Amino acid sequence: MQSKIKKLFSSKEGILLIIFILIFITMSLLSPNKFLSNYNIQSLAYQLPEFGILSLSMMLIIMTGGINLSLTFTATLSMIVGGLAMSSYFTATNMPFVSVVIGVFVMLAVSIVLGMFNGFIVSYIGVTPMIATLGAATLFEGISLNITKGGAISGFPLMFLNIGNSAIFGIPVPMIIFIVVLIFMRILLEKSKMGAAIIMIGCNPKVAEFSGIKVKKILFQTYMIAGFLAGMAGIIMASRYNSAKESYGSSYLLQSVAASVLGGTSISGGEGKVLGTLLATMILQIISSGLNIFGLNRYLTNVLMGFILILVLAINYIAEQLKKKK
Amino acid sequence: MKKVLVIFIVLVAMTGLMFAGGAKEAADDKITIVVMPKLVGIPYFNASEKGALQAGKDLGIEVIYTGPTTADAAEQVKMLEDLISKGVDVIAVAPNDAAALTPVLMKAKKAGIVVFDWDTPADPSVVDISVHQIDDRGFGEHMWDLLVEEMGPSGEYAIVTGGLSAANLNTWIDFGLEYAKKTYPNLKLVTDRVPTDEKQQVAYQKTLDLIKAYPNLKGIIGVSTPAPLGAAQAVQEKGKKDSIAVVGSSLPTDSGPYLEDGSLRVGTLWDPAKLGYLTVVLAYNYLNGTKPYDGQEIANVGNITVWEDNRTVIMGPPADFTKDNYASYGF
Repeated sequence: MQSKIKKLFSSKEGILLIIFILIFITMSLLSPNKFLSNYNIQSLAYQLPEFGILSLSMMLIIMTGGINLSLTFTATLSMIVGGLAMSSYFTATNMPFVSVVIGVFVMLAVSIVLGMFNGFIVSYIGVTPMIATLGAATLFEGISLNITKGGAISGFPLMFLNIGNSAIFGIPVPMIIFIVVLIFMRILLEKSKMGAAIIMIGCNPKVAEFSGIKVKKILFQTYMIAGFLAGMAGIIMASRYNSAKESYGSSYLLQSVAASVLGGTSISGGEGKVLGTLLATMILQIISSGLNIFGLNRYLTNVLMGFILILVLAINYIAEQLKKKK
Repeated sequence: MKKVLVIFIVLVAMTGLMFAGGAKEAADDKITIVVMPKLVGIPYFNASEKGALQAGKDLGIEVIYTGPTTADAAEQVKMLEDLISKGVDVIAVAPNDAAALTPVLMKAKKAGIVVFDWDTPADPSVVDISVHQIDDRGFGEHMWDLLVEEMGPSGEYAIVTGGLSAANLNTWIDFGLEYAKKTYPNLKLVTDRVPTDEKQQVAYQKTLDLIKAYPNLKGIIGVSTPAPLGAAQAVQEKGKKDSIAVVGSSLPTDSGPYLEDGSLRVGTLWDPAKLGYLTVVLAYNYLNGTKPYDGQEIANVGNITVWEDNRTVIMGPPADFTKDNYASYGF
């Protein structure tokens, strides 16, 4: 038992869990009838999934040693194209269920295609991920703006709003989607061959190549999966905001990098844990919501988030060094 | 060693949070009004913050002025959800995107919160009161009146606008052109409205072209805040500030240098500080059971206009900025 506790304290995830619990307790003590209210816990559960899924998508790419700057625009372009298909089919036929199915299907299909586009440029053409995805971000944003002309796509059937705004047995639907994604990611990264290959590529692509891993193919598939995850987040966002627009979630881009890194993903690749990223998104989420409830200036919230991020990274680094000394 | 480290981290994190949140949690019986701009940290919304907070002080209520740091509708939705958890009395929001905010504003109403929009309209079906800065028709006509005051009732003029797809700019220009046709038949528009991408540099370039192409040009209307400045810059450079009158919608502080040298004759806009002030006062009145009515006098703001739908409030006529008064505005 004691060794288990010790292990918890010494792992990155353990430290994150402790930080999460402490922040949660502090917030609850400071504001028992607001932060700890049933309503707020519910609203946290609705807010977390879109951010969490985007962070997992970002984590996947960072683990290969890359970064995906087109993440949020992948989500928004797929929700715009899918949203357009859904709303125009709905106005033409007035069949809500079929329109929702078509809309969701198109959103996911587009997100996979966009992921494949990134994957193709990065793995088969060999452009540095940062440059490739920066270009893709501009491209996706441009296409989105051309479709929407700067406005928002709306007029979705009411049924579609249920995806982001309703609950089954008290559990919000976005949360259920998030849990499914978490399980999928855990199996992919920590149990499957592909996960092992991704980690090896992230550590050293040359060695991976020589040990018989098809680096290009795996990279391509990884970007495709990351695109798919962005599409899932896009569906939740489109449903929660009842519309689709190119700028939705633009603030998630850097936050998702922060969450991955805070969660213990190595920015140079080859290391990352689903649980770590989950805990990190939860920490960032409760800090943001908590400080909002206290009515703190938004800039100070950013300052504090940056401070905590640097603090945790410094601690991780020091802990690493100490471990090496032993 | 490791234990010490962990304890240290935790202490730092705790103190950080205490310092952040411990200070003020509003007493529940106090009226709390949230005013949310499209984003914080730009001069326009900083000015409205001053007005909103001042109104809170004058009325003795708590005003929370908070918004996202980028103009992201998703961020606004999240912040609103948190504020609903906090339990406030009124939410007044300037939406980055009207459609995106509809679900969260519905939630707010369900939680018994009064919903206002200000600066930019939200979905009318979820809004109790909509506070507008200006009457679009009046503002368009006002710009043409200013032009005629400066260049006389006849002669050639051009329109330099921010962009062809900006709905509010187009509305003002359409109303202005319609008015000019009736009231000033001798004004001659030399060419279609010239788009300038909301950039002063582009407005400057295009105005240089206009001056070259139309040597008899007597006036320019700049619509969107950078457009009059770019036009004034070009007129100044060509030494035409006495023969070409530039007027338009601009921010007073930015207009200062051009107003000083006379290349910009007069700028016009509303005062965002007053808009913030008005929003808070109306919210306070609404909670006390007084709905706004046409011609109502609001202290420090003036007489407001209320439309027949009984919930669209127009703050009043625009404010004109000239060489003599621009320095007194803080935005």
